[in-house]
Amino acid sequence: MATGFLTDTTVCIGCKACEVACKQWNQLPADGYEFTGDSYDNTKQLSGTTWRHVAFIENPKKRRLTGDVDLVALAEDVTEPLPGGAELDALGRWAFMSDVCKHCVAAPCQQACPTGSIIRNEFDNVYIQPDICNGCGYCVPACPYGVITQVPNDGRAFKCTLCYDRQIDGLEPACAKACPTNSIMFGDVEDLKELAEERVQQLHDKGYTQAYVWGTPEVGGTGGIEGNHSKFILMDEPETYNLPKHPYLPQEKVKGGVIAGAVAAGVLGAVVALAFRD
Amino acid sequence: MSDATRQDLSQSNGHVGNGRPETSHHPETDAKREDKHYYGIPPIKHAHWTWQIPVYFWIGGIGAGTHLFSTVAQLLGHEDAALKRASRYTVLVTMILSPIFLIWDLGRPERFYNMMRILKLRSPMSTQSWSLLMFGNLGGLLAARQAASDGLLGRNVLSRLLLKLIPERLLSVLTLPFGLFVGFNTGNLISATSVPIWARNWALMAPTFLASGLSTALSWLSLVLHLTHSGEAKTLRALHRAEKATIVIEAGLIAASLVRMSRWGKPLFSKSVAPLFVGGALLSGIAAPAALLFSGKETRGKSILSSLLVLAGGLAFRFSLIKAGRISADDPEAYFSFASGESAPQPEDKV
Ligand code: SF4
Ligand code: SF4
Repeated sequence: MATGFLTDTTVCIGCKACEVACKQWNQLPADGYEFTGDSYDNTKQLSGTTWRHVAFIENPKKRRLTGDVDLVALAEDVTEPLPGGAELDALGRWAFMSDVCKHCVAAPCQQACPTGSIIRNEFDNVYIQPDICNGCGYCVPACPYGVITQVPNDGRAFKCTLCYDRQIDGLEPACAKACPTNSIMFGDVEDLKELAEERVQQLHDKGYTQAYVWGTPEVGGTGGIEGNHSKFILMDEPETYNLPKHPYLPQEKVKGGVIAGAVAAGVLGAVVALAFRD
Repeated sequence: MSDATRQDLSQSNGHVGNGRPETSHHPETDAKREDKHYYGIPPIKHAHWTWQIPVYFWIGGIGAGTHLFSTVAQLLGHEDAALKRASRYTVLVTMILSPIFLIWDLGRPERFYNMMRILKLRSPMSTQSWSLLMFGNLGGLLAARQAASDGLLGRNVLSRLLLKLIPERLLSVLTLPFGLFVGFNTGNLISATSVPIWARNWALMAPTFLASGLSTALSWLSLVLHLTHSGEAKTLRALHRAEKATIVIEAGLIAASLVRMSRWGKPLFSKSVAPLFVGGALLSGIAAPAALLFSGKETRGKSILSSLLVLAGGLAFRFSLIKAGRISADDPEAYFSFASGESAPQPEDKV
């Protein structure tokens, strides 16, 4: 059975309980007290010590609140035109998104890892074996989503394990457990896929036609990555959430590169040989 | 809306009946929000590589090129003792230094041997480690034989055994593919990543690295032979000719790479990299030595000068590519424009 996440950003309230739960369960060190001044999100990004990151996206660009704003209606998910020509979108002004390792089906980090430290475990999750990793750092620029970093002072690379230890004991990952709105769902990827489709349909029916699933082979998993086991329901372009639209598998071109190199070697060898002719 | 709220709003600002709250990211005042990204935070992470990696790329290229030149000479029946000696010891030294630099760069250097627990053909880092191991050990054997024949190991049983047991010509040829692989695979090492400027140039990266490596190697050999006043006239002539041809090929490959990188190649011309790339790699590393090589009669002084320029230029080229990669990875606009459609490498692309 392959397990994964479905993160429904439309119900995320930005409480960061998942970030905290993840840090606690996995005993991750602090990242320092940094104040970005950009938004209330001071975590900024995923890293070797932050395996869940909740982005706070203030997006007044498209869905501006105009007319008389009824905050109750806003909270109650109303999209009908309001009296007084008010337009509003309950999900528009602030978007939250709990980001995590995508557990790619064909994982670039795994293919890059020269020590074989990164494996697929019995739950079909992408897992870094900390006793093997020698901190070469090659998985870091390989990941198309900027998930992994090397941890200073430790030297090794770390990322979300999808709570491998908890799964072995039959528990769901700490973030999914802690999420108060069920924005983070954990389970069999096939079930989650169905759930995602249902939820997107529900949103469409309510008038939020911009909702879609990100992380399918078509969206967010192209170029050989073949989809992600961590899927997301998004309401805006992926870039708004700092996600690429069509990431690619960097190792797709290794064979081509080696052939090109071999051809070059032949040509340069011939050039050297010709240089010896008088 | 409650009356209290209505009152608050009408008192607090000019947007009466509009209700648009004041925020720090007001669309009219915050130009930053027009871009598609998350507060400019890089969506991918750059490689941590410090100076050891570009220096390794440089000396690895010199080792590979040197072995190519001496093996071709040997195969053509051109036995020049000085050339062979210079090349064997060069390979030995570069292959001792390369693993040192690479292991130094690891987060857990004491676990370097984990590279050897698996061979992954899709991971250029893995194939690089293995080819380095092969090239280093075979090159080491050749160097040991050279040392024995130079009398450096004394006149004892070991020397005689080395001379007798190591089939020099055969071993040189066997070593060559590993050496060449070390020389070009550094290009694939950086292009098989999510970094736009590197990944974009996947087809030309390996050839460019090999050509540049060969050009530094030829310069190194000619420098050593000139400085030690050794080497046959024929060797020096061949070196000179090969240097000329290689520098032209290298320039062509770099130009083609820049065309291929197109807008994602911009970091090479940014303020912090341009002095290194344009000044160091292109002008003083290619243009100036090319002018010296192609102008007038060949003299010892000119040769030495052009060799030094090429060697420094090769190092500058590698540093500028690594630095540009960092800028490229840190630029959300570059990555998003790259990973949004046709520009990124696609499975169906052919060489
Ligand atoms: S998202 Fe990055 S770290 Fe996670 S599996 Fe994919 S490549 Fe690896
Ligand atoms: S840093 Fe560790 S996990 Fe990442 S590629 Fe290197 S050995 Fe593998």
